[in-house]
Amino acid sequence: MAFDYQLRETTSNSHVPEVDFSHCSEMAPYLDEPIAMYVGAPGKHGYLRLGFEMDPRGKSILRDLDRRAPLIVQQALYFDKEMPEMPCVYILSSGGPNVEGDRYQQDITLRKDSYAFISTGAATKLAEMERNYSGMVQNITLEENTYLEYMPEPIYPCKHTRYISDTDITIDQTSTLFYSEIYMAGRKYYNEGELYEYDILSVCSHAKRPDGTPLFREKFIIDPKNINPRQLGIMGDFDVFANVIVITPKEHADAIYAATDAFINREEKLAAGITHLPNNAGLLFKVIGMEPGPVKKIVREFLSKVRRQVKGKPLPEEFPWR
Amino acid sequence: MSQNIAEIMRLLQFTDSTFPVGTFSFSNGLETAGFENIVHDKKTLHDFVKSQALQAAFTDGIAALAAHRAYLAGNYDAIVEADRTLILCKMNDEARQMLQRMGKKLSELSVRLSDSGIARHWLEDIKAGNTPGTYPVAQGIVFAAAGISEEDLFCSHQYGVVNMVLSAALRCIRVSHYDTQEILYEMSSQVKSLYERVKVLRVDEMHAFFPELDILASLHEKGNMRMFMN
Repeated sequence: MAFDYQLRETTSNSHVPEVDFSHCSEMAPYLDEPIAMYVGAPGKHGYLRLGFEMDPRGKSILRDLDRRAPLIVQQALYFDKEMPEMPCVYILSSGGPNVEGDRYQQDITLRKDSYAFISTGAATKLAEMERNYSGMVQNITLEENTYLEYMPEPIYPCKHTRYISDTDITIDQTSTLFYSEIYMAGRKYYNEGELYEYDILSVCSHAKRPDGTPLFREKFIIDPKNINPRQLGIMGDFDVFANVIVITPKEHADAIYAATDAFINREEKLAAGITHLPNNAGLLFKVIGMEPGPVKKIVREFLSKVRRQVKGKPLPEEFPWR
Repeated sequence: MSQNIAEIMRLLQFTDSTFPVGTFSFSNGLETAGFENIVHDKKTLHDFVKSQALQAAFTDGIAALAAHRAYLAGNYDAIVEADRTLILCKMNDEARQMLQRMGKKLSELSVRLSDSGIARHWLEDIKAGNTPGTYPVAQGIVFAAAGISEEDLFCSHQYGVVNMVLSAALRCIRVSHYDTQEILYEMSSQVKSLYERVKVLRVDEMHAFFPELDILASLHEKGNMRMFMN
């Protein structure tokens, strides 16, 4: 029985879905084929399927894993000292940065009653691009009474980066998803600084219930050549932006909302705000700042509030090397 | 004259700041921006208004145009789709309340002003909770029913957003009527190019990236200032 519930890897012959953004008009100027490896070539078409579930002993485990280069997940670790029962997974990329013509898909499923923490091993760099773009599709499915913390390290776009992502969330009304993304304005300390010199970032996250009832749809396009992100009301003088979606039952959302302040801290150049998502789906928390460290610290403090509310436990201190 | 006089008169009527849909109750975050001294003079007010106009164009503007086209095509389902999509894309709680309150007021008014069956059906669906009933979609219906073009609808929509903030500015920012009118005059020159960019977008392409505005809205939502409802 124990053997049956070990990690089940299926990396051999299964189909890797096509990643298609042809319906997104904002990417239309960036359809040139790369000169080097073509779009979707082996090694540029990453795929990851992670399936978590409860084993017969009542332990949440990474049950299913399918992976295609350059995306890598090795195994779940149980390193969270406040929740040692929680499987923790780092997503890595063997190719280094995302480059032009890359297409990735990540399918993450939490089956009934399971819980997990997912992050990336390091910051994600979106390389300088001349042709085409890099795109990622994510499908996140949370079955009944599940809990997922998804908090990747910051994302760094470079000069002329073109990047698009689409995250489709299906979540049961009893479950909680913490989903964060931290976007840098660019490589701040590279040469003279490379802020908002990318071509486009297009990020869409949308959620629905298992019966298809839509909950919300947030899409942001940052297109510095057409709309200056430095404009008051957009990013102003700030260089780092964190977007945190928390989908959770209303009683949790109300308690977390009450415990979370909106603020502008001029001395530390940090600001944060929180609001309710449409359809009582949960909360949306935004942070802007100057450096990734302080922004990430606020996002982690917020995650700790969410975890205390939902799981009754705080977040442990961050590892000193992270 | 390219339009008939009745259409122009109705365009002016629907765009007038005294048109009773409750515009005066909202500041679109300006109350907090003024309190935080982020908006404190003509220059910062102008920048703030530019962001508000852009944010509205790529969300509300798309929904208004879609509703206008759907009305003219007799496609009621497409009107409802635009309405539902817009509310799913409105991340700020007070912004959703504003759009729904103004939308219901305009819809109630529209059944008195025209004999449109779609407008009546629309108001019934709002009252029954079948559709959120947002203001931009109501604008699309009312303008189409009155024979006003979608270009004029977009102008009226943009004017409404800009004028709402500028009117609030006279009550909470140290600027003069001259300042606000100069801003309004200058902003008008950008509406054509904005319309050209917005008119080709589908309802599923609505988007917004305005983190500073979002945080100001949150401060208002969490705070005690209530001269305006947002």
